[in-house]
Amino acid sequence: MLQGALAGLAAGGLFAVLAVCLTLMSRLVRVVNFSQSATGMFGCYVAVWLSIYFGLPTWAATLVGIALGGLLSALLGWIVATWLAEADIGTRSAVTVAVLLLLISLSFILFGNKPQPFHPILDGPAFSVNGVVVSQVTVVTVALSVLIALGCRAVLVKSSFGLELRALSERPTTAELMGIPAKKLSVAVWGVTGLLSTLVISIVAPSQSNDATSLAMLVVPASAAALLGGFRRLDLAVAGGLVLGMAQGAVAQVDSLSVARYFLPFLVIVGLLLWSQRKEVWDVAR
Amino acid sequence: MRKIMRRVAVAAAVTLVAAGCANNSSSGGSGGSSGPIVVGSVNALSGAATFPEASAAAKAVFDAANAAGGVNGRQISYKALDDKGDPAAAAAAAREVVGADNAVALVGSSSLIECEINNKYYAQQKILSISGIGVDPACFSSPNIAPANVGPYHDMTLTLLYGSEVLKLDNICALLEIAGNTLPSYQAAIDEWTAITGKKLTYMDATVPYGGSDYTSYIVKARSAGCKAITVNPVEPDSIGQLKAAAAQGWNDVTWLLLTSVYSENYAKAIANAGAGVYVPAEFYPFTDAASTQTKEWRELMTKNNIPLTSFSQGGYLAAKYFLQVIKGISGDINRESVTKALQEMSPISDPMVGTPYVFGKGQTHHDNTAGWPIKLATGTNKWELAADDWLRIPKK
Repeated sequence: MLQGALAGLAAGGLFAVLAVCLTLMSRLVRVVNFSQSATGMFGCYVAVWLSIYFGLPTWAATLVGIALGGLLSALLGWIVATWLAEADIGTRSAVTVAVLLLLISLSFILFGNKPQPFHPILDGPAFSVNGVVVSQVTVVTVALSVLIALGCRAVLVKSSFGLELRALSERPTTAELMGIPAKKLSVAVWGVTGLLSTLVISIVAPSQSNDATSLAMLVVPASAAALLGGFRRLDLAVAGGLVLGMAQGAVAQVDSLSVARYFLPFLVIVGLLLWSQRKEVWDVAR
Repeated sequence: MRKIMRRVAVAAAVTLVAAGCANNSSSGGSGGSSGPIVVGSVNALSGAATFPEASAAAKAVFDAANAAGGVNGRQISYKALDDKGDPAAAAAAAREVVGADNAVALVGSSSLIECEINNKYYAQQKILSISGIGVDPACFSSPNIAPANVGPYHDMTLTLLYGSEVLKLDNICALLEIAGNTLPSYQAAIDEWTAITGKKLTYMDATVPYGGSDYTSYIVKARSAGCKAITVNPVEPDSIGQLKAAAAQGWNDVTWLLLTSVYSENYAKAIANAGAGVYVPAEFYPFTDAASTQTKEWRELMTKNNIPLTSFSQGGYLAAKYFLQVIKGISGDINRESVTKALQEMSPISDPMVGTPYVFGKGQTHHDNTAGWPIKLATGTNKWELAADDWLRIPKK
C-alpha cells in the first residue's frame, strides 16, 4: 500500500500544480480553465518537434515550449478578457472546452498520433525509503506544487500586485473604476498559469505516457483536486492533488480495486459536489 | 405547396429508378465479367488509433497489377473504407462495400473492431476477408476471415517462448491491457506457452488500463512480486509510459517481452532506457533490416508509393499478393462465388516475409500463422536489431 501510494506521488504532484493553476484562474479571472493541461501539452509537443527538426538541445527546446505554453494561454486570456469580459463564469469556461478540443485535434494533425521521442529532463530514482523508490520527478513535482502554492499565496497577500488582483476578483467593477488595469492583469494571470502548467508537464511528460489525449485530460484529476479547495483555497488544492495521486497509486495495488483507479477522480468530483450541496434545498440549489 | 409536393414526388421517382438501374448493372457480379473486379477493405483510417498503411499497401499492389494489365484483362477496383474506430461505422462500411459495391472479397483490412462486428455478416453474404492486420479475437476464430498476420495471441505465446526458452529467463510476469473480450484469447496464449514449456507466470495483472497516464503503480507492484521479465500487450504510447515508469524506479534489469504492436522506428526513437532489453517476435520478416532480400520487393513498392515501412504495410501487401495469386488461377468468371471457392481450395503460398505459408482453406477458425522473427531493442541504441537468424516457431502439438 505504502509502495503504491509513494508511486502515485509523482502524479499527485502534477495534479497539485495543475490544481493550483485552476484555483488561481477560478479565483482571479473567473474561469474554470479546461484547457489548462492542453496548453501545457501543446507546448511540450512543440518542444519535442523543435528538438527533432531543428536539433535544438533539450533544455532550449523545453524553454521555448514553456514560453509558448505561456503565450498560448495569455492569448486565450486576451480573447476572453476582450470579448467575454462581462460574461458569466459558465460561458467563459465553455470557451476553454473548445480550446481543449482544438488543441488535441491540432496536435494530432501537426504531430500525428504516433509516440514522440520526449527526452527526459529528469531521469531515474532520487532515493529509496524501506526499499520503495522515490523518483527524481516525484521529488521535483511535489516540491514545485508546494512552492508554487506558497509563492502565489505570498504574492496575493503581501504584494501590491496581489492586492490589485484580489480587488479585481472580489469587486471587478469597483477595481476597474479605481483605475486597476483589469485586462492586463487577467492576461498576466492566464500567462503565468500557462507557464506553470507547461513547466510541470514538461517535467513529467517524458516520464510517463505522453500522447496528446492523456496529457490534455490531466485536467480531470486536477479539477477534482481543485474542487477539494472549492476552487478558492490553494492549500487544499495542493493537498487534494497529492492525496488523489497517492490514492490512485494505492488503489492500483489491490487487484479487486485497481479497475476503479481511473474512475477515482470522477468519484471524487461527484462526491465533493454532493457534499458541498448537502445543505441546499433542491430548487434553491438550482 | 402542391407544386413542391409534386416536385418531391418526381424527384423521388427519378431517384428510385436510378437506384434500380444501378442495382441492375452491378448485380451481374462486380460489373459483369468484363468490368472491374471490386475488392474492398474496412480500416481504421480516422479516430483515436489509425492504421492506414495496410490498405494503402494493398492498393499499391493492386495498382501495380492494374498497370501490368490487370487480372485476365480485368482491372481491380480497390475500395478502402473507414470504420472510424466506431462499431456502427464499421458495420455500415462493410454493408457499403459488400452489399452496394458487390465486392468479390475483402483484402488488406486493418482495424481494431472490424472482425468482431462484421464476421457474421461476411458469413451471411458468403464473402471471404483476407485481413492485412487482424487484431480482435474474431479475426482468428471466424470461418470467413483469415488474416495475413500472426496476431497478438500467437505473438504472445512466441514472446513468452523466446523469453523462457531462448533467453532462459524465469519469473516472467504478464501485464495485460484488456480491451473488450480479449482476455480469454490472451489467457489461451499464455496457457499454450505453459503447455509447451511446463512453466507458469510468476504473476499476472489483467487490470492495466489502455491509455493510462502513469503506470508507476503497476510497475512497482510487478517489481515487488519478484518479476524479472514482463510481457505486455501494449499500444506504443502505453509501452513507452511503462518503460519510463520502470526507469524512474531505477529498475534497469527488467526484460520486456513485447508484441509486434510496438515494433516501429518511432517507438525505438522514443525509448532511451529499455532496461535489460525489449524483445519482440516480429510477425513479418523485420522491415528494419534494410539490406534483407526478404523485404526487397515490398520495400521498393512501398518506397515508390510513399507508404511508411511498417508491419502494417507488410500485412496489407501480403494480403493483396496472396489474393492476386489465388484469383490469377481462377478459370472462368471472377466473381464472389468463384473467388470464395478458389480461396477455400487454394494450396499454401510461401513468402520470404513470413515463417508460415498462407492458406485460407475451409477451416472454421484461421489461427495458423505461428512464426515470428525475434528482434531486440537495447538500451541506448534507439534501433531495432535482429535477435535471431531464423524464425521462432510455436512447436506443433
